[in-house]
Amino acid sequence: MIALWRQYLPQFFQGVGVTLELTALSLLVALLFGFLLALARLSGWRGLVLGATVYTEVIRAIPVLVLLFLAYYSLAQAGIKLSGMTAAVVTLGGFYATLYGEIFRGAILGVDRGQSEAALALGMNRRTVMRKIVLPQAFFTILPPATNQLSNLIKDTSLVFTVGVTDLMFQAYAASSATFQPMDMLLLAGIVYFVFYLVLSKFLTRWELNVQRRRG
Amino acid sequence: MSNDVVVDIKGLAKHFGDRVVFDNVSLAVHKSEVVAIIGPSGVGKSTLIRCVNHLHPFNAGTIDVLGYHLQGDVAPSKPMLRELRSRVGMVFQTFNLFPHLTVLDNIILGPIEVKRLPRAQVTERAMDLLAMMGLQQRAQMYPKRLSGGEQQRVAICRALAMEPEIMLFDEPTSMLDPELVGEVLEAIRRLAKQGMTMLLVTHEMMFAKDVADTVVVMADHTVAERGPARQVLESPQTERARAFLRRVLNPGLSSDGARRQRGGV
Repeated sequence: MIALWRQYLPQFFQGVGVTLELTALSLLVALLFGFLLALARLSGWRGLVLGATVYTEVIRAIPVLVLLFLAYYSLAQAGIKLSGMTAAVVTLGGFYATLYGEIFRGAILGVDRGQSEAALALGMNRRTVMRKIVLPQAFFTILPPATNQLSNLIKDTSLVFTVGVTDLMFQAYAASSATFQPMDMLLLAGIVYFVFYLVLSKFLTRWELNVQRRRG
Repeated sequence: MSNDVVVDIKGLAKHFGDRVVFDNVSLAVHKSEVVAIIGPSGVGKSTLIRCVNHLHPFNAGTIDVLGYHLQGDVAPSKPMLRELRSRVGMVFQTFNLFPHLTVLDNIILGPIEVKRLPRAQVTERAMDLLAMMGLQQRAQMYPKRLSGGEQQRVAICRALAMEPEIMLFDEPTSMLDPELVGEVLEAIRRLAKQGMTMLLVTHEMMFAKDVADTVVVMADHTVAERGPARQVLESPQTERARAFLRRVLNPGLSSDGARRQRGGV
């Protein structure tokens, strides 16, 4: 088993690179778009609130795999041909944006009203209040659930092998087909996913603790 | 106290849906005057002073603050409102210090963000204010580490750092342990001596009598009585003011009065 693993290690490393890239890009899209969704739902402008709410409720109710196939196959039929990678980033980013959007919205609403009142009473404009007072405090409500969703996102990237993106799952699947050792190869992939998650969550937890300690 | 009226409230009304908070409230505050607003819980005292810097919108009437005009059911322009607020300081019942910033950063944030003053200059002034309150040693700490009384004094520094012309105090000592009330009142008293114009919602009757020029008694959704502090507190003219003061000054007769009373008279 170890010998086989050693033989396929280069492909695996390549797959890991693709998975990391896909995770990073999707996370970036999800965070930015999610933040916009949260602001839209909090804006109080009827059209924006409605649009963002409908998008959130619809998209998050559909399985990621269905969305991925819609983005890759159905859009292609409609004349919009996305590469596997692009379709994957759009799908994962668009789907996780709904989850991050709700996390952001809840955290912003969770900041005590007295905080923005005190800032407004000093004469600050709404943007400054959001940037300097509300968001920094919402941040620590956001961090734990956001970390959870990130680990889900990492795992969901494994779905993209179905549209031909050569990520870690794709390499594991290819190797197991070639070696007829699906157990060994998928186990290795599982271990790699687990290590990702472990390193990331440890890092984020430590960071969170550090800042909390500093604030007494 | 001079003759310039700096806050002029006329015919103010505020309601939430069907519920009337107050109606037909008029009140003129002169430069350097200290006005204490007293009255039973839920009568809209806090809501009233929050209308002065438009943290609460109101439904009818007008307020003129330092020449800025606020009108019922009309949204004031945002730049005008920010300018007004930068000249009117506010201190809250729950302190509302920013927990993610140090004491010093709490104080300098307003002048830096709103007045665009250089950090060095603002920091110097902030340290002077902290020194005045005997809190220099706390500058680099986070609010959570401070006692309630210290937090409220920092909140006063934060408001003063903007160099306001009027200060609004919304029950500044109601959340404090009894032994910490004195230090906050002392800070407010010193401001009064320096000639700061103040509107103060309070349950501290002794303090009101001692520091305020004018006492306003709110009851039954409006101003029941107003006049020189000593006169209103010692020989109220209206039945509603008498009833309220009787309850407050004789704790034990009513649980509400007992709970609200601090320090005794």
